Amino acid sequence: MAQKTGFQVDETALIRAAQEGDQDAFGQLVRAYDQSVLRLAMNLLRSPEDAQDVYQEAFLRVFRNLKNFRFDCSFHTWLYRIVTNLCLDQMRKRKVRKEESSQIEGTDGPVERMDTFQESRAESDPQRSMFAGQLRTRIQTALSGLTARERMVFELRHYQGLKLRNIGEILGTSEEAAKNCLFRATQKMRVALGDFV
Amino acid sequence: MSTCEKIRTQLGLLLYGELSFDEEEAVDAHLEGCAECRTALGRERELQAALDGHEIEPPASVLWESRQNLQRLIAAEQAPGHSFIGRVSWWDQFLDARWLKSAGALALLSIGFFGARMFPGLGFGVTGMTMLDPGAQRVRSIEPGPNGGIQIVLDETRQRVVSGGLDDQNIRVLLLSAAKDPSDPGLRYETVGILNDRAQATEVRDTLIYALAHDENAGVRLKAMDGLRPFVLEPEVRKALAGVLLSDGNPGMRTQAIDLLTQGVGETTDNATANGLDREMIGTLQELMNRENNAYVRQRGERVLQFVNASQETY
Repeated sequence: MAQKTGFQVDETALIRAAQEGDQDAFGQLVRAYDQSVLRLAMNLLRSPEDAQDVYQEAFLRVFRNLKNFRFDCSFHTWLYRIVTNLCLDQMRKRKVRKEESSQIEGTDGPVERMDTFQESRAESDPQRSMFAGQLRTRIQTALSGLTARERMVFELRHYQGLKLRNIGEILGTSEEAAKNCLFRATQKMRVALGDFV
Repeated sequence: MSTCEKIRTQLGLLLYGELSFDEEEAVDAHLEGCAECRTALGRERELQAALDGHEIEPPASVLWESRQNLQRLIAAEQAPGHSFIGRVSWWDQFLDARWLKSAGALALLSIGFFGARMFPGLGFGVTGMTMLDPGAQRVRSIEPGPNGGIQIVLDETRQRVVSGGLDDQNIRVLLLSAAKDPSDPGLRYETVGILNDRAQATEVRDTLIYALAHDENAGVRLKAMDGLRPFVLEPEVRKALAGVLLSDGNPGMRTQAIDLLTQGVGETTDNATANGLDREMIGTLQELMNRENNAYVRQRGERVLQFVNASQETY
């Protein structure tokens, strides 16, 4: 995550320089955050193409509107607000159009599209390997059973490591509401994973 | 809601470190005297551990493509009439691999880019309290100076553009360093792509082998494998590919590795090709049969072992 204390002073200088038209500074800002933005979009949308669309749209909006950024919140929060809104829009659109199949044809028959991006260690123990595969599928199903907001809060807390207060700020809600959302998400995950954990 | 029920709603938040001091105290006190809630905490911990390994790391190629596309979009925004005009930016320097290649493999690198990685700075340039050149300086120490002033020692890393051909030793050293930059898979992907054209040099080949064996991003590993393809008969390359076959987590990588290591074997009746498989490689394939779960890789391994009349197992 690019939000580090040591980076804070540096970041303010970069933002001000980028606001004055310094492209190098803008490039450094992008580079500081773009890996975590892409990771978030990819994990939420589970499609590299959609994740790339969100990446581009988000940074383009930053580029266009940076001049109006007044430091009312951190740059990280502002950027993530843009990214999460774009992702939520995509997730809701998908629900409406029931999304195209997430499966593709693999060498072993149909496989989950994003499994092709997932590392699955060659295990010396085939039973362990089978269990890991089943767990992966079960987690995927459990995640897809969450609402868009639950999914977002879970992703931001569990994988991106953001604090609930910050998540509330990003999503325009209270810390308490984010907390409830996370609780519902983990409850659903536990039920869906059943005897696997 | 009973006390136990209430406590259990807080166990997940406890593990996430999201309870207030008082809430955490209350949960800890309850857990000390309640074995059932301690068991529930154990289950919560297992759930979080199971979820931990599930995050997808975007391939370096997707990051690289995203940056390229963004560069194009921003270039379009910079058409006359827009405020960001003019000079060559870091985007142009680092992201336009087509330019790098079409310029006769002329490498253009900014030392400042790598410098920023090696010496992360606070980014202030301080001259009469005005800001210039962000990212180029870092305050090392502050001491009282004469006449009540202060004396600040700055570490400076100036951005500099160096250009030269890929045969230029300085350029090559920078490229070899960029290929191992842990912070940016997109940069590693692009650098490995450039180095692939010079894999006949031992130091470049060693870097590609290192990337193949150690890079955490499958896209970078795959790119390195592409560069090593013409050298598949070299013992150190075969050894690295055997390592991929036995331990790379990505089935796509293992598929490519077995195809490269056994290319031609079993497709014709040419025994000379089969003889190219030494005892060590046959041992690797037998070991593979014990652990591989990908159908294509297994099938290919079995076929080759059958062809050379070797057993499918190790004893």
